[in-house]
Amino acid sequence: MKSISKIGMAMTFLLSYTVCSAQIKNAQVESVKILGNCEMCKKTIEKAGNVLNVAEVNWDKNTKIAILTYDSNKTNRDEILKRVALNGYDSDTYLAPSDVYAKLSDCCQYERKAVVTAKTNTTKQVGDAKIDLKIEIVEHKQEVVAEKKQDVDLWTVLFDHYFALKDALVKTDGNTASSKANMFLTAIGEVKMEKLSSTQHNVWMKIQKDLAFDAEHIADTKEASHQRDHFITLSKNMYDLIKVSKQETLTYYQFCPMANKGKGAHWLSKDNMIKNPYFGSKMLGCGKTIELIN
Amino acid sequence: MKYRVLVILILFSIHPVLAQKIVRYDLYVKDTLVNFAGKEKRAIAVNGQIPMPTLTFTEGDVAEIYVHNQLKEETSLHWHGLLLPNKEDGVPNLTQMPIKPGTTHKYSFPIIQNGTHWYHSHSGLQEQIGMYGNFVMLKRPNDPTFRKGIDDLPTVPIVLSEWTDLKPENIHRMLHNANDYPALKKNTVQSYSEAIQAGHFQTKLKNEWKRMSALDVSDVYYEKILMNGKPSTDLKSIDGKELKAGDQLRLRISNGGASSYFWLTYAGGKITVVANDGNDVVPVEVDRLIIAVSETYDVIVSIPSENTAFEFLATTEDRTNLASYYIGNGIKQLKSRQPRLKYFEGMKMMNDMMKMNGDLDDMGMSMSLNQMDMNVVMYPEITGDSKPKQDDKDPNRYNANALADIVTLNYAMLKSPVNTNLPQQAPVKVLRFNLSGNMNRYVWSMDNQVVSEAKKILIKKGENVRIIIYNGSMMRHPMHLHGHDFRLLNGQGNNAPLKNIVDIMPMETDTLEFNANAEGDWFFHCHILYHMMSGMGRVFSYENQAPNPLIPNPRLAKRMLYADDRKFHLMTENDFANNGNDGMMMIQSTRWSIGTEWRLGYNDMHGYETETHIGRYMGKMQWLMPFIGFDWRFRKMGINEEEKNIFNQTNSKDKRAQFSLGVNYTLPLLMIAQAEVYQGGNVRFQLMREDMPISKRLRMSFMVNTDKEYMAGFRYIVNKNIGMTTHYDSDMGFGVGLSVNY
Repeated sequence: MKSISKIGMAMTFLLSYTVCSAQIKNAQVESVKILGNCEMCKKTIEKAGNVLNVAEVNWDKNTKIAILTYDSNKTNRDEILKRVALNGYDSDTYLAPSDVYAKLSDCCQYERKAVVTAKTNTTKQVGDAKIDLKIEIVEHKQEVVAEKKQDVDLWTVLFDHYFALKDALVKTDGNTASSKANMFLTAIGEVKMEKLSSTQHNVWMKIQKDLAFDAEHIADTKEASHQRDHFITLSKNMYDLIKVSKQETLTYYQFCPMANKGKGAHWLSKDNMIKNPYFGSKMLGCGKTIELIN
Repeated sequence: MKYRVLVILILFSIHPVLAQKIVRYDLYVKDTLVNFAGKEKRAIAVNGQIPMPTLTFTEGDVAEIYVHNQLKEETSLHWHGLLLPNKEDGVPNLTQMPIKPGTTHKYSFPIIQNGTHWYHSHSGLQEQIGMYGNFVMLKRPNDPTFRKGIDDLPTVPIVLSEWTDLKPENIHRMLHNANDYPALKKNTVQSYSEAIQAGHFQTKLKNEWKRMSALDVSDVYYEKILMNGKPSTDLKSIDGKELKAGDQLRLRISNGGASSYFWLTYAGGKITVVANDGNDVVPVEVDRLIIAVSETYDVIVSIPSENTAFEFLATTEDRTNLASYYIGNGIKQLKSRQPRLKYFEGMKMMNDMMKMNGDLDDMGMSMSLNQMDMNVVMYPEITGDSKPKQDDKDPNRYNANALADIVTLNYAMLKSPVNTNLPQQAPVKVLRFNLSGNMNRYVWSMDNQVVSEAKKILIKKGENVRIIIYNGSMMRHPMHLHGHDFRLLNGQGNNAPLKNIVDIMPMETDTLEFNANAEGDWFFHCHILYHMMSGMGRVFSYENQAPNPLIPNPRLAKRMLYADDRKFHLMTENDFANNGNDGMMMIQSTRWSIGTEWRLGYNDMHGYETETHIGRYMGKMQWLMPFIGFDWRFRKMGINEEEKNIFNQTNSKDKRAQFSLGVNYTLPLLMIAQAEVYQGGNVRFQLMREDMPISKRLRMSFMVNTDKEYMAGFRYIVNKNIGMTTHYDSDMGFGVGLSVNY
C-alpha cells in the first residue's frame, strides 16, 4: 500500500512537471542524480541546465535528484549534465573541473565521490633524451596527507601549509591566507617532538612560539597587508626550520628589497620564478632567488 | 680471403638501400555534401572522408602518392614541413602546374626525416572545406635518436580544423569588405554603448581617434571546431587495446585550421611536449599551449585514474568555440572552459601601442618568441576578472608564466635534444622583413608589398640564410617556410629548436636561420589562409638553378600565381527607402578601388544621381586615396530656383555630367574627408563617417558637404545581408527603408 502511494506521488510529481513545462515541445522527462548541498547549489544547477523552451532542470537538495525536462529533438541528457558539471556539479556522466568546484562557495562544497587527484612525477634525463614518466594515483587527498605525515619528514605538512599561505598572499587573497594560517596552527600542534633529532629539537623549541604567534595573527585577520607584516617574521623562522629539515625537492629562498617598507623581506618558494607575496600583482616580479636549499 | 670479406661487407651495407620500401597511396579527391552544423553544404572529401586519410611512412621509405582529381576544379597537395625535391612540393603555379579536373598526378619522394607533419591543398581556399590530413613519418626502430618511453608509446594522430557554413570565397570577400557579421556572431562588436557599459568610453574614443576599428584576436566565425572531423570524440582504446589508468599516450597534433589558433588543455594533469613541427624537443611539462595555424606538436598525456575519461580540449584563441577528445573509459572528467576575453582591456592595450601615424610602439620592451603576450591583459585566468591590477612598470606585466600559477608554453622553452648548428664556414646572408598589414582593408603584406608586387628573393646554394622578422601589424602571423627546417634562435644556443613555422605576435622580432641546401622555388608565407590569399608571402629562389620540368611555361605560371592577390572583391549595397534608393557598388583590390554611389529618387523633383570614383590607396595605412571621378545627375528644380554652394558657385543640378579629380583622406575617428574639383571649376569638400557602431547591431552614418547637402541615418543590422534603416537627407527628406547588402 505504501509503495502504491509512493508511485502515485511520483506520478503526480511527473505530471505536474509536464504541465509546468508545457512550452517545451517533444518533452522527454528523466530523473538523474546530481551532487550538491544547498539552496545556492539548486540555483546554480538549475540556471546552468535551463535553456528557454528547450531544457528545464528541477533539483531537489534532499534527494539530490534532478528532474530533467527537455525537447528531445533539440538537446539531450548529456548536454544538460555537461553544462551543470561545467558549473561545478558532478553527476553520473560528468565530473566538474576541479578549479570550478574549488570556486564554489563554502556551503556548496559538497562531498565528491569519484574525484581523483592526479599527481604525475616526471623524471627527465636530458642527455640521451630518455624520459621516464611515473604516475602516482591518489585516490583521496586526505588519506594521502595522513600517510605522508608518518613516513616523510615531520614538518612536511607545516611546509605545505606555509607554501599555500604564501600562494594566497601572492594573490592578495586574505580569506584563503587566514584559513591556511589556521591549518598551519593545527599542524604546529601535531608535530611529534619525540621523533626530532637533537639539533632539530633545539631549533623547534626556539621558534615554535614565534611561529604560532605570527600564524595566529595571520589567521585572525583577512587584511592582507597585516598578514604580510607577520609573514616577514614567519618566513624568517621557516627558513631556520628548513635548514635543519630534510626536503624531497629543491626550495628557493627569495628576497625582495622593496618589501617591509624598503627594508626588504624574505620568503620560501618551491619555484625559481619570482612571485612576490608582499606585493601581489602590484609588483609580482619584484625580487630574486638568493639561496637554493636542498 | 680479405677481399671476400670486404665484398660480403659491402653487400650487407648495400642491403638496406635495396630494401628501400615503396609505400603507395591513392587519393581520390571528390566533391561531397556534409552536414556539420545543421545544413547540407559542399565540401571536398578524399577517399570519401574528411579529414583526408592519415598517411604513414617510416624514415627511409619512398612515398608514391597518386592524386586522382575528380573535382570540377583544379587542385594540388602540399606536403607541409617535408624536406623533398622542389617539384614535389605541391604549390600550384610555383612548383608544378595545377592538377586539372579528371587527371591524375603522381608525387614521389624519398622520406628522409621523421616526425608529425600534415598535408593540405595549396589551391585557392580548398583547405578550408576538407583538404587537410595527417602525415606521419615514423623513426626506424634502430634510430639512434629513438626515445624509449616516447617513441614507443601508443599514438593518436589528431588534425584540428574548423567548419563554417559560409562559402570560403564569401568569407574572403567579406573580410575585405570589413563586414561585421563575424563580430556579431561572436559578440565582439565592441560598440560605443558596450564600451560605456564597461566603463571604457574613453578607450573606445581613443581607439577610433587612432583610426582603428574594433579588433578581435581572430576574424572568421566558425560554426564548429573539429578534431579529426568531429567536435567530440570518445577515445576508449588504441589499436584494439583498452585504455586504463596509468596509460600514457602520445598525441600527434597538427593544426589544419585555415585561420584559427587553438589553446590545448587537458583535464588529466600536465601536458608533456616532446616534439614541435615534426622535430624532437627535450620534454617540457606545461599546463597549456597555443598551437599556431599549421604548426604541429607531439604531446604526451596520461590517464591518472580508473573508470574516468579525461577531456582534452582544443579551444579557439577567441574562446568562442571548442572541440574535445575524451581519453579513457568511464565518467567524463571535464576541463574548465577558458573565460571570455576582456576585449576593452585589449583595446586599451592597442591604444597604448599605436602611434598616431599607424606604427606600433613597443615602449622599450623588445619582444620575441611569444614570451611576452600582450593578450594576457585580456585573459581573465591570468590577469583576473576585472581590471588589471599590475603596475605599468612591472617588467613581467605581459609574462603569462610570471603572472599566474599555470605554465603556458612559449618558444623559449623549446630545446632540441641535438646540436642544430649550421655549417660554420658557409657565408651568411641576412634578410629582414617587416610584416605589415591594414586591418580596415584586410591588406596583408611583407614590407608593404604583396607577392605580386615583390620580386623573388634570390639565395645561393650553400649559404646560411638568416631571417630577422618584425611584426609591425596588429595581428599575429604564423610564417611558414617550404622545403627547409630552420633554427629558431631562442636562447638555447647550439640546441636551438628546428621548426618550419614561426608564430610572430605584434611587435615581436624573431630571428631564424637555415642552410640553403635544396634548390628550387620555395614559398615563405603567412599560413592564415586568408592572409596568404591576400598576398602575404615571398618566393625564395636559388640562383642559377635548373628549370623545373613541371613548369613548362614559367611566365604563364607566374601570372597565375600572382592572380591570387590581384583579385578584386565586390561589395554592393542598396537601401530601398520610402523616399528613394541609396546605394553603392564597389570592387576593390590591394591598391585599387572602383566604386559607384547612387541616389535614385522616385520622381524628378527628388532627382537621380550617381558618382563614380576610381582611386588608388596610397601608403602603408592606406589613409590617402586620390581618385578620378565622374558625376551624373538629373533633378528638376522649380522655376528660377538655383543652387549655390557655400563658395557661391552655381550648380547645374537638373542635368549634369562632370568629370572630377579628388582625394579621400581618413581622419581620426575614422572620418573620411573628401576634396573634389569638377571640370567646370566647381569644388566640393565633404566629411563623412559610415557605420559607427552605436550598439551591437546599430550603426550611425552622417555626411555633410559644401554643396549644402547633408545626411544622417541609422542602420539596424538584421543579418549579414539585411538591415533596417532610417535617415534624413537634404535632397530627399526623411525616410525609412530596408537595406540589402552583399
